[in-house]
Amino acid sequence: MTKEDSTPTRPRVFAALRSFFIRHPSLQRLIWPLAGLGLLVLFNLMFDRAFFEITTRDGNLYGPVMTILRLAVKVMLLAIGMTLVIAAGGVDLSVGSVMAVAGALVAYLSTQGDWPFAALLGVAVLVALVAGAFNGTLVAFAGLQPIVATLIMMVLGRGLALSITGGLPISVQDPGLEFLGRGFVAGIPAPILLVVAVVVITGIACRMTALGLFIEAVGDNENASRMSGVNARGIKLFAYVFCALCAALAGLVTVGDVGRVEPDRLGQMLELDAITAVVVGGTVLTGGRFSLVGSIVGALLIQTLTVTLIRQGMPSDVAPVPKALVIIAVCLLQSPRLRAQLAAWRSGVRRVGA
Amino acid sequence: MNMIFRRQNLPLLVTALVFVVLFGAFSVAFKNFLSLRVVTNLFMNNAHVGIIAVGLTFVILSGGIDLSVGSVLAFATVLVATLIGKFHFHPGTAIALTLLCGAVFGAGQGFLIQSYQLPPFLVTLAGMFLARGLAFMVSAKEMAIEHGFHRALAGLGLPLPGGVAFGFTACVFVVVLLVGLWIAHLTRFGRNVYAIGGSESSAVLMGLPVARTKVMIYALSGFCAALGGVVFTVQAQSGNPLNGFGMELDAIAAVVIGGTLLSGGVGQVAGTLLGVLIYGTILTAPDYLSGFDSSWQRIAIGGLLLAFIILQRFLSRASTPGG
Amino acid sequence: MKMNLFPSLRHLFPLAAVAILPLAGCDKQPPVGNPKPGKTLTVGFSQVSAESDWRVAESKSMKDEAAKRGIDLKFSDSQGKQENQFKAIRSFIAQGVDAIILAPKVETGWEEILKEAKQAKIPVVLVDRGIKVSDDSLYVTLIASDFVAEGKLAGEWLAKKTGGMARIIELEGSPGAAPAIDRKKGFAESIAAHPGMKIIASQSGDFETGKGKEVMETLLQQHGKNITAVYAHNDNMALGAIEAIKAAGKKPGVDILIVSIDAVRAAFTAMVAGDLNCTIECNPLLGPLAFDAVEKARKGEAVPKKTVIEDRVFDQSAAAAELPNRKY
Repeated sequence: MTKEDSTPTRPRVFAALRSFFIRHPSLQRLIWPLAGLGLLVLFNLMFDRAFFEITTRDGNLYGPVMTILRLAVKVMLLAIGMTLVIAAGGVDLSVGSVMAVAGALVAYLSTQGDWPFAALLGVAVLVALVAGAFNGTLVAFAGLQPIVATLIMMVLGRGLALSITGGLPISVQDPGLEFLGRGFVAGIPAPILLVVAVVVITGIACRMTALGLFIEAVGDNENASRMSGVNARGIKLFAYVFCALCAALAGLVTVGDVGRVEPDRLGQMLELDAITAVVVGGTVLTGGRFSLVGSIVGALLIQTLTVTLIRQGMPSDVAPVPKALVIIAVCLLQSPRLRAQLAAWRSGVRRVGA
Repeated sequence: MNMIFRRQNLPLLVTALVFVVLFGAFSVAFKNFLSLRVVTNLFMNNAHVGIIAVGLTFVILSGGIDLSVGSVLAFATVLVATLIGKFHFHPGTAIALTLLCGAVFGAGQGFLIQSYQLPPFLVTLAGMFLARGLAFMVSAKEMAIEHGFHRALAGLGLPLPGGVAFGFTACVFVVVLLVGLWIAHLTRFGRNVYAIGGSESSAVLMGLPVARTKVMIYALSGFCAALGGVVFTVQAQSGNPLNGFGMELDAIAAVVIGGTLLSGGVGQVAGTLLGVLIYGTILTAPDYLSGFDSSWQRIAIGGLLLAFIILQRFLSRASTPGG
Repeated sequence: MKMNLFPSLRHLFPLAAVAILPLAGCDKQPPVGNPKPGKTLTVGFSQVSAESDWRVAESKSMKDEAAKRGIDLKFSDSQGKQENQFKAIRSFIAQGVDAIILAPKVETGWEEILKEAKQAKIPVVLVDRGIKVSDDSLYVTLIASDFVAEGKLAGEWLAKKTGGMARIIELEGSPGAAPAIDRKKGFAESIAAHPGMKIIASQSGDFETGKGKEVMETLLQQHGKNITAVYAHNDNMALGAIEAIKAAGKKPGVDILIVSIDAVRAAFTAMVAGDLNCTIECNPLLGPLAFDAVEKARKGEAVPKKTVIEDRVFDQSAAAAELPNRKY
């Protein structure tokens, strides 16, 4: 067939791209949240050129794009942990509260004498271990539904955070925390580097070892995985502990960034943002295959949307409406049925044209 | 009577037992708890969440989820208040229109979920944002309802001994429950819902009208959310775009506590009633305790939830042969 | 599939558990309303939430005052939901409290629930904001600040300080919240007389430090040197704005003037440090006044219908002196 020679370059590029993505299905799912992000970037290119300005001061990078990256850090961290939990077939509503407990405890301790940063970090890890073990045990060993088990932790955690501080906000006094939240390394904000590190480490652990495979197996079909010899309960417990660790880390970053802990508000409603980021990123809520990069893209999408709306002066009370429309748009882009419909429409048009 | 103790009734029985234990424990711990007034309060306080939860039960039974219910409730309250206050509609017309809007909104979500196979979580999350934003667009601030008919509705109720009245909102809740029970167990639609929840592909292969049923499920949920809002306006005699914040989580919790599985196919409307009562009872506990501040209130609620959910789990494990 | 219609309902027998509820009516009804003199007073306090320094201070004031007077206080935090306040009030009525103190989340919607309290002969004292009801006798008295006046004072201070020329960023409170709406209104009214004062952007910081910082950062990048002043509906958001301004390399309080409302302790610390310029007081220590009203009402004495708390203006000059006095 000599058709190849006569086809113009553009369809050939498309064909090459298509075969590439067919060979890498995990990347295929990534297209759509990236497309959503691309839409927002396009919008800003057209209406808000200043969006892309990057300035330097004292050797550090600043600008709306840097702001988005920095502000997205907490949701990104939460989303990484949430990805593993959702992939294992569960969900964790308590991440916001775990952020609050870790943040509140660390902030409180930082005002009570000289705690070295490493010790504070250790305390946060301990909090995460306890919270994660609590959730994991209830779900994996007591067989409670994840929503109920983590809802309990969500309520308990918020109460604990309030009782640690006596309900009052605390100002943080620890240079290590402040660096974590606001510092710069080689011009790049420290929290961003932290997220990169966490993603890389988690990615390596999941894809270079059997861990990722086990998690996906448990989420896909728990009974089958157990019969194949996977320690389903252990995997689930691990997922919840890991998620709590990410939440505690997010709490530390937020506390360091803001400098102040408001125990009732820290992390409030962030679990919803985290779950949204994960689902937009291509991981299915029922469990199974997951994509860490997808969750990161999802978190970026949410944050970009928020910042774009603020810059466009959208009044805060009706801002949810464009948010809703963008989410629907990204979903529709991901829908195979819509794409099939569009393809049919396009070929129908072509047939009419020819 | 062996029928009652059949295998599939056990979860419901266990949940009922948990409720009895809970209510009993509180009656012993708090004076004045075991009273008709408290029971009435339980229904009055949780009427709107309960109505939403009934609609939500069908969604969850089918394996889906609806996060928009709280915001649709808010939108409904604002719409009713604005139609009556600004456009001088009769409350009856305003209520009918609002219920219609709720159903259409839900159907829209159902259409997107069904036709394009979109994840229910994201579609109804978008619905939540959309309804909330629309509520603020209709009225950026709260709005009182001043109409004789509406006020008269608030006065309707069943007078009970002791000066207590089983008010309009509670009555509507009970009616919705009964209708929900009827739909779930005595109609083909109800059976289809269970079938879809059990296995959607099997339902399709069996020739059940899956597409139509799914859209109707979400329409029902939207309708119930709007009805919850209408009932809220009768209680509050006002509309407010801030209403219903976080109510979707309360409703989901009530449904799940009642024994309905989030994966779908398992659960009952009767369970939802028990879930609403259990959750509602636990939430009132801090009001009876002296010297509790905000932090201990949350800890108390969390602790009670933990205790009673574990009790429920333990009882159902113990009563099922083979663990 | 053989279908017997009615047998399928048999599995609903467990619902009989609900039938125990009416049996509850067999117990004697709790006394409501009139306690014997000399008994410890029980008062129910329905608070909105624990969302800010201010709220927590208000709750603490109530608790401390109740402890001082030997009153048994039942405290209910409604987590920001009006329906939870309905629930709390009903629980208080069921317990036969001697009085109810209510900090209403919103202005409307209280008619029916207060009727229930009235029927039970329990007096209701409102704190912190007023409500719209058709029947004034549904509550005994109102002890509150005037949010619109607070906004006005902020605007007037800023106008005087800048000589009527300012480009202002407004950090709003949570959408739909009454203090946010009123403080916006008051401020807008007071700067209307000064055409040189323009609000160049107005976004919600949700009354929270973190959100205030995020929003301020975004707006700083967008408007940069154009900004000369910030008006925050509460101190928490102002503190966030201060951090954002510092991070952008500017000097808060000097390059950009900041005025906010609430006058919490942290605001005074910021003023002493030179970061905050002015804060309008919104006194949350309403405990003493509230319980005064409660005791008067129980004795049947007359109580003024409305007590408006005077809001003071504090700027940097008064900050150091006042700081030790700030209890919250």
